[in-house]
Amino acid sequence: MKASIRPYLFSILGVAAALVIWQVLAEAKVAGNALPPATTVFTTLATILGTGTFWSSLGATIGISILALALAAVAGVVIGLLVGSFESVRYATLAVLEFLKPVPPIVILPLAVLVLGPTAEMSLFLVVFGCLLPIVMQTVDGVQGTDPVARDTARSYGMGEREILARVVLPSAMPYIGTAMRVAAPAALVVTVVAGLLGGGPGLGQNIYQAQAAGDYASLYGLVIVLGVLGLLFQGATRLAERRVLHWHESYREVVP
Amino acid sequence: MRNVKMRNWVIGIGTPVLLLVAWWFLSANSTDPFFPPLETILIRFQELWLFEHFQSDVLLSLGNLFLGFVIAAAAGIALGFVTALVPPVRWMIDPLIHFLRGIPPVALVPIFISLIGFGTQMRVTSIALAALFPTMIATVDGIRSVSNDLMDVARVYRLTRKERVLKVLLPAATPQIFSGLQVSLQVAFIVMIASEMLGSSQGIGAMTLLAQQSFMTADMWAGILLLGVIGFLVNVLFSLLRRKVLSWYIGSRRLARAS
Repeated sequence: MKASIRPYLFSILGVAAALVIWQVLAEAKVAGNALPPATTVFTTLATILGTGTFWSSLGATIGISILALALAAVAGVVIGLLVGSFESVRYATLAVLEFLKPVPPIVILPLAVLVLGPTAEMSLFLVVFGCLLPIVMQTVDGVQGTDPVARDTARSYGMGEREILARVVLPSAMPYIGTAMRVAAPAALVVTVVAGLLGGGPGLGQNIYQAQAAGDYASLYGLVIVLGVLGLLFQGATRLAERRVLHWHESYREVVP
Repeated sequence: MRNVKMRNWVIGIGTPVLLLVAWWFLSANSTDPFFPPLETILIRFQELWLFEHFQSDVLLSLGNLFLGFVIAAAAGIALGFVTALVPPVRWMIDPLIHFLRGIPPVALVPIFISLIGFGTQMRVTSIALAALFPTMIATVDGIRSVSNDLMDVARVYRLTRKERVLKVLLPAATPQIFSGLQVSLQVAFIVMIASEMLGSSQGIGAMTLLAQQSFMTADMWAGILLLGVIGFLVNVLFSLLRRKVLSWYIGSRRLARAS
């Protein structure tokens, strides 16, 4: 019993120590006004949490992330199934996909801002662009990884191509898609923030930019803390959703002794 | 069979070429301010990057990227080892690390700007700190997934602690460390661009955003093209390095799959 409490004690100690160090460094003015004390940041954060603009920004950030994620998921799975099912399509898209894969959405941010302006559509477009390719690639891998015996069995039972796709190929690609979604969900949040910070799209990113430009450092730190919590929530939520949706799959099944 | 293979090769190489040719001709007489002719973009690309701004901006950006990434890699692996091998340290900093990892790396850039200013120092610091976490977390996971049997054998052979760390744990964790490094490299690249776009006048990212804000569309396209090519090439280089360092691992995996 004692041993199981110890890690938590150390964790609390670690967080407390970090806060104390922060407070001491800030009180000593090591970075002038640019590093506000922890206490100031948390009182400012409490004030921010009471304003309507904060909640509408938060809503915009979450809304854009989730909507774009859903769009990217649907489009990505459809494209992935298409690319994975036909060899010629796979070869045709191989070079383009491989080139675009390591290119982050921030690269085309100037173009998106130029064409769409600092709008929610611009943020949406960037997030979809950023999340689409990983989902496509994973779906293709999943389709490729389908057990050929299962496919042949389905065929010999007289299933049509469409039925095989829906009942054999898609379920066996699901864990791959689940992995892609788990990576894509936090990324969607990051890109939404980047679009707001650098492109002026609505949401918390824009608030951070304004706080920094105005020299309102307490708000800046407060908003970054909010983003950290939000990031953790996104990661936790996707992991939970993945486990719930894929509970039937071998790699997620819990072993019952 | 041969024909199919030939056909796939032709399709594989033909499609991107076809797309580029289509871009060239469809945009040839374009008067759309957003989508200038590809020819104009390429001319501006050559004028801007080869080699007028090569040293002042391209090399500067790449230098920051490289330096930041190397610092992040070294610190990430070292911190990962300490965290994984000393439980109290792990318990202490685990919640902090997870919290910091939840923050979008680019959101840290404004904080560093307010702390350090707009200079090269800020950019390298931002890159290094943001890219640190993926490597560190992968290192911890890599070490903790080393099998107990392996460590028992090492102990039976009376390897010293140093030998166990350097000759058993490090190689066993290398595959995971490399996946972490790959993510770190991506993050470093993103933060490199972001740190330049947020109020600096030097670097490829700054020039690209500046071109967009002053409606020099061809220049902006040239910048996007260069950033895309760099993102791709950096990734290719890293994959080559990984294949070289991990040749034993990739080979053993292939053998395992074949059997």
